[in-house]
Amino acid sequence: MSFLVLESIKKSFGQTQVVKDFNMSIEKGEFVSFLGPSGCGKTTVLRMIAGFESPSDGAISINGRNQNALKTNQRNIGMVFQAYALFPNMNVFDNVAFGLKVAGKSKTEIETRVKEMLKLISLDHLADRYPYQMSGGQQQRVALARALAPKPQVLLLDEPLSALDAKIRVSLREEIREIQRRLGITTVFVTHDQEEALSISDRVVVMNAGRADQIGTPSEIYNRPTTRFVASFVGTLNIIEATVVDPAANTVKVGENTIRLRESIGALKGGDKLSIALRPEAGSLLENAKGDTSLTGQVLSSHFLGSVIRTKLDVGGNQISFDMFNSPDAVLPQSGETLTLRFNAHDFLIIRD
Amino acid sequence: MKVHKIFAWIAITIGAIYFFVPLIGTFEFSLRMRRGVYSFDAYQSVFTDAQFRATFGFSMLMALVTIVVGMLLIVPTAYWVRLRLPQMRPVVEFITLLPLVIPAIVIVFGYLRLYNSSSWIPFTGSTQGTNILLTFSYVTLALPYMYRSVDTAMRTIDVRTLTEAAEILGAKWPTIMFRCIFPNVMSGVLSGAFITFAIVMGEFTMAALLNRPAFGPYLQLVGANKAYEPSALAVIAFAITWLSMGLIQLVSRFGKLSPARP
Repeated sequence: MSFLVLESIKKSFGQTQVVKDFNMSIEKGEFVSFLGPSGCGKTTVLRMIAGFESPSDGAISINGRNQNALKTNQRNIGMVFQAYALFPNMNVFDNVAFGLKVAGKSKTEIETRVKEMLKLISLDHLADRYPYQMSGGQQQRVALARALAPKPQVLLLDEPLSALDAKIRVSLREEIREIQRRLGITTVFVTHDQEEALSISDRVVVMNAGRADQIGTPSEIYNRPTTRFVASFVGTLNIIEATVVDPAANTVKVGENTIRLRESIGALKGGDKLSIALRPEAGSLLENAKGDTSLTGQVLSSHFLGSVIRTKLDVGGNQISFDMFNSPDAVLPQSGETLTLRFNAHDFLIIRD
Repeated sequence: MKVHKIFAWIAITIGAIYFFVPLIGTFEFSLRMRRGVYSFDAYQSVFTDAQFRATFGFSMLMALVTIVVGMLLIVPTAYWVRLRLPQMRPVVEFITLLPLVIPAIVIVFGYLRLYNSSSWIPFTGSTQGTNILLTFSYVTLALPYMYRSVDTAMRTIDVRTLTEAAEILGAKWPTIMFRCIFPNVMSGVLSGAFITFAIVMGEFTMAALLNRPAFGPYLQLVGANKAYEPSALAVIAFAITWLSMGLIQLVSRFGKLSPARP
């Protein structure tokens, strides 16, 4: 049985239903990210796990125990907030010790555990500092130590990196993942940043309008999006409108190009419209490029972006962007030029709404 | 630009003269008790008066009790309004402003009608009861200042997130209130306390009509019967108020020095 189970969770605020039938099972020690745009319900689900909000319907259980009737302070959950939420009147030591003191631990036990936690976040030399004497990154590491000190059964991270600058964000997310792995603590991470979610998670839940659109490993989410929303939200994707030619042969037409898809077209008939997707990095312009399929079209524009060159191609009224790595002898395609983009039919995804 | 500056200085000078001349005059007069020379005889006379010590002590005690009762009432109220009932904020603000628009004499007559010795709750039936009623009256009078100073201090911290952070670490309401919230709004609490202290020390209407031996009625009594002592008392009363205001400045500056924003 899974460690953290969310079963048919619903949540309404007045007439507005913000979480609609959310189901999820998380294994012990797993790092799961909830990814989605603002207002998709990801933070509400997290707050229901914490006990700050009660589900309108459904059950939350941790280690087989139903949490619905338990108050926040009875759940033994650690949480790191976006705004750090360190107690301004306490120094680092007292902040980390807070949960242990509340739990009635002995003085020696508290001292040992706090020192252990501060060593874990490499801030043992700042035990006497007050929050206002520390940088944002340091404060968030203290908040992490404070959340972990009482040995919670689940760790919740509510956009903990959003208030930090880009460089600190990257180093801290790696540090969080490293600590999580070392302690083996079940972690739920909420973010709207896809790079963050994809880089540190075992599994990602892409949420849209109160529902989990897709749950999968970062690679599955990126390479095999199952809905149009996931496809458009995670990474850059070309959505191409195609016309079914022969459903039995799985062939579709894009402009003048007829291509054979690997994935089954399903119940569609010849002449029906179909949305297919292609990642910008999937294709190549090289004559000798590997690939069993190609699309020919006119170049609309081409831009040098440093490490990549992004070219827009018009194929039967569809604008297709594709990226190629920069090399010193690379030549930018010219507008109006006719080009053939080669790729594998396997790279095409059928978008089913 | 220069003309504007001149006008500003003229306005400040007129204001300062308007405020300081009577004060200097009062102080100068308070030193003239001994004929022909300046002396602190009037102050000596005031400080050696047993009634001064009794009324001053009484008012001071009442001020301290008022501060404690007021804070126990206002800090949790401001906290709950901020955390759980933000829609009630206009109502609470309106209630706390009422003592500014309803004269003290109207409030005290209302109390006397409601809590007289032949009413259901006969507060005025005993000395202890009247003292309790006087404390509540003072809390009412101090409400606009106390609520605002505490509420302003709460605005500077993220009450909701701090509460949630404490709650998820296992803390219950008393711990959250006294270890996480109270210490972080202490500058507001102290500002409110000093304003309350100044108000209570000089209050006349409620103490006089409830017939309690407070410092305000004593000031009036001395003013009606003596010549130099009332001036000395006026200077003392000003000193108390200024001391309170100075302490407010001090605690708010102290608060600014350790902002510790979450």
